[in-house]
Amino acid sequence: MHIMEGFLPPLHAAAWTAVSLPFVVTGARRVVRIVKQHPHAKLLLAACGAFTFVLSALKLPSVTGSCSHPTGAGLGAILFGPSVMAVLGCIVLLFQALLLAHGGITTLGANVFSMAIVGPWVAYGVFKLLRSVGGALTVAVFFAATLGDLATYLVTAVQLALAFPDPISGFAGAVVKFAGVFALTQIPLAISEGLLTVIVINLLTQYSRDELDELAFTAEVAG
Amino acid sequence: MHLTDQHAWTNRWRRYHPAEKLLLAGGLLLLSITLPPLTTAPVVLLVVWLATVIGAGIPAAALARFIAVPSAFLLTSVPFLVLSVSSSQGIAFSPSGLETALRVVARSLAAISSMAFLTLTTPVIAWTPLLRRLGVPQAIVEIMLLIYRLIFVFAEQAVTASQAQAARLGYDGIRRSLHSLGLLVASLLERSLARMRRLEIGLAARNFDGELRVLQPTYALSLWRLALIGSTLLAVAAVSLLGNQLLAKAMT
Repeated sequence: MHIMEGFLPPLHAAAWTAVSLPFVVTGARRVVRIVKQHPHAKLLLAACGAFTFVLSALKLPSVTGSCSHPTGAGLGAILFGPSVMAVLGCIVLLFQALLLAHGGITTLGANVFSMAIVGPWVAYGVFKLLRSVGGALTVAVFFAATLGDLATYLVTAVQLALAFPDPISGFAGAVVKFAGVFALTQIPLAISEGLLTVIVINLLTQYSRDELDELAFTAEVAG
Repeated sequence: MHLTDQHAWTNRWRRYHPAEKLLLAGGLLLLSITLPPLTTAPVVLLVVWLATVIGAGIPAAALARFIAVPSAFLLTSVPFLVLSVSSSQGIAFSPSGLETALRVVARSLAAISSMAFLTLTTPVIAWTPLLRRLGVPQAIVEIMLLIYRLIFVFAEQAVTASQAQAARLGYDGIRRSLHSLGLLVASLLERSLARMRRLEIGLAARNFDGELRVLQPTYALSLWRLALIGSTLLAVAAVSLLGNQLLAKAMT
């Protein structure tokens, strides 16, 4: 759910950048520390970042017939950990803005906050919570990806509502308006992404144990 | 994406210092979002067209194509700004919403086209090293460069794999589509990591110790061009502010 280049007023764009910056800086510090200890992690992280970019460019089928792109926030948070996702997400969003005109430089802060910070953290939190109360892996993965997606959309709706309050009903009306539109289109998409993430994790646990162990290593180092 | 990148590598301005192009694009972007959009947008679009098509020699169709996709998204967002929702009146048309929408579309178009100029004239690799000057750590810059390179490799794999799946009716119906997409994503991740491991072995054989040393082409900053860019930006600001005053006068 990218907010387009120049869509937000300058003040909002600056404010969201300021909100996102500490998360990205903390993540970047962590990445620098990991890379210093394990030089090869640089390649692993780059592969993860490029994978996230390509994943977000794939078309996701949805029940309503509309097509959209998976955010990859849930899968990324489960595989790579949320703090690393903030950095990788930031780089991926930057490249999407520059190479595909998807999102933007001025709205990078807002997009990073919804897609690379809130989405992954919600997904990660849900995943850990469900796993700790003894939820099955597939159930935890499904809810992590779906709720991570929905959290992303909700944050985007709030960001848009703050920037463009309804002339009659104000901020609350605008939230209802934007979230309502998203609810129609995005709930089926979020469920699709949840199902997709379950399929992917199932396949990976069946056929790619070694790769998962390797990633678990980075996720552990990264927290 | 490939075509855009091709223009970035082959246009007439490819040998100019990336900082110069960054200054022009960044300056236009800043002006687009801070100055009154209705008068700024036409001037910015004109400057972008002059720089990209006349200056750098990129086909106008390529510029139009790059701007077209986000513009379509932009138009779909207009109804949400124009229509107003409230509990007492239901859904209603609001004139002030129309004005907001007009401003937002103008601002967004100008901003998108400023970045289109940068994307079409400057490869990502040319300006990423400049991030070092802004205090971005070396490791992050290197990861960015690697990601940029790998995106094209992985994208090609994804396209080939999904074509193969589609040829076997893998995207027939929602259930099968989801399953095929899951297979695609899982194999993409596995292949990405396998590729990364081969890269690792290759680099280890070349005594990789954590730093990727690559030859950077050297660019020369031209004072003349910098002055030209500076005066262009000033001219854009002046014209748009003047135009805005005239517009305000005409309205009253």
